[in-house]
Amino acid sequence: MAIINYANKEVQFKIVYYGPALCGKTSNLAYIHSQIADANKGELVSLATAADRTLFFDFLPLNAIVIRNFKTKFQLYTVPGQVIYNATRQLVLRSVDAIVFVADSQWDKMEENLESFRNLEENLARQGMTLDSIPYVLQFNKRDMPNIAPAHYLDFLLNDRAVRVPSIEACAISGQGVFETLNTVARLLLVKFAREAEAAAAAKPALGANPMASIAAGMRNQPIPR
Amino acid sequence: MLPLLTIAGAEKLLKTLEEFLDKSESQFAMIIDRGGTILSQTGRPPEGADVTVLAALAAGSFAATRELASRVGESEFNALYQQGNRFHILMNAADDDTMLVSVFGSQTTVGLVRFYAARTGEQIAAQLRELRAASAEAPPIFTEADLNAAPKIFDGAPPS
Repeated sequence: MAIINYANKEVQFKIVYYGPALCGKTSNLAYIHSQIADANKGELVSLATAADRTLFFDFLPLNAIVIRNFKTKFQLYTVPGQVIYNATRQLVLRSVDAIVFVADSQWDKMEENLESFRNLEENLARQGMTLDSIPYVLQFNKRDMPNIAPAHYLDFLLNDRAVRVPSIEACAISGQGVFETLNTVARLLLVKFAREAEAAAAAKPALGANPMASIAAGMRNQPIPR
Repeated sequence: MLPLLTIAGAEKLLKTLEEFLDKSESQFAMIIDRGGTILSQTGRPPEGADVTVLAALAAGSFAATRELASRVGESEFNALYQQGNRFHILMNAADDDTMLVSVFGSQTTVGLVRFYAARTGEQIAAQLRELRAASAEAPPIFTEADLNAAPKIFDGAPPS
């Protein structure tokens, strides 16, 4: 959950990159870290095995835009993708504000994508959350590989829901789509945060409404922010 | 629910931390949430240490050890102590969502730090309860219209 600090004029959010093993979650953070100016980024920390597989999480703190004198800060985390690390994924998901689901576009990874997506839903449910209650985007990664599924097939597989979310084709190693993904999920998150705060201030909660529905619909009709 | 940190609330938390630092003779202390976000900090962190990273790692370490304890049948888990050569770290839960992290050297003892950390944790929990109660009445800090006027959130160079 976002933390507002009036003393420091900061608001902080947590975004988790989720997805199957070797789908490119860490590559996303590594590319972001390589491109952001030093003044706006902290250290990229990876708790990895000797074989460079994520063991616990990767962590990257970022400063972003200032809105009405409030500095927005984002903490990016990845989860370990390997099936055996589910308890760790549950820990990393705690207090999450938004999610990037990174799917591997290769045909032979479809089952793993689905399994990881279902696992995400299960782990969110453990925290009393659902994908309808949290901003998230889909990233179809590894578009540079041979033998990849078309984006519309991945959309059919992972985005065939009442509320469709933005999906972005990417090649995290080269950086293609990485910032589109980050900007899209950050904007979804900030819009949700602003809307909820405005609704609370107006004391007119939209009971029963799904706040993500109109946001996601709006995002699909706009150019993807860079 | 995490609290909204008003200026007065933040000052109160900081004062509590400063008193703790003074009495326990610790070098550095911070209050963090279970997601690893810093709510308040004071003192001098070890040279070269990034406190944002320290907070994220402390939250992860505490959560993992608590889960480990739970899986071997321990229902109580409130504190975690790491003993080093130059610096020691004590983490103790203030409430379900927040913890106090203390970094100290050989100028004090773990017993003293643990004693004051437990008391300070209770004070922090009480202060956070007050802040949470006040959070519901806070005005929005920015609106959707403000966001629409800010086209780019992160500025990354295009891939080559």
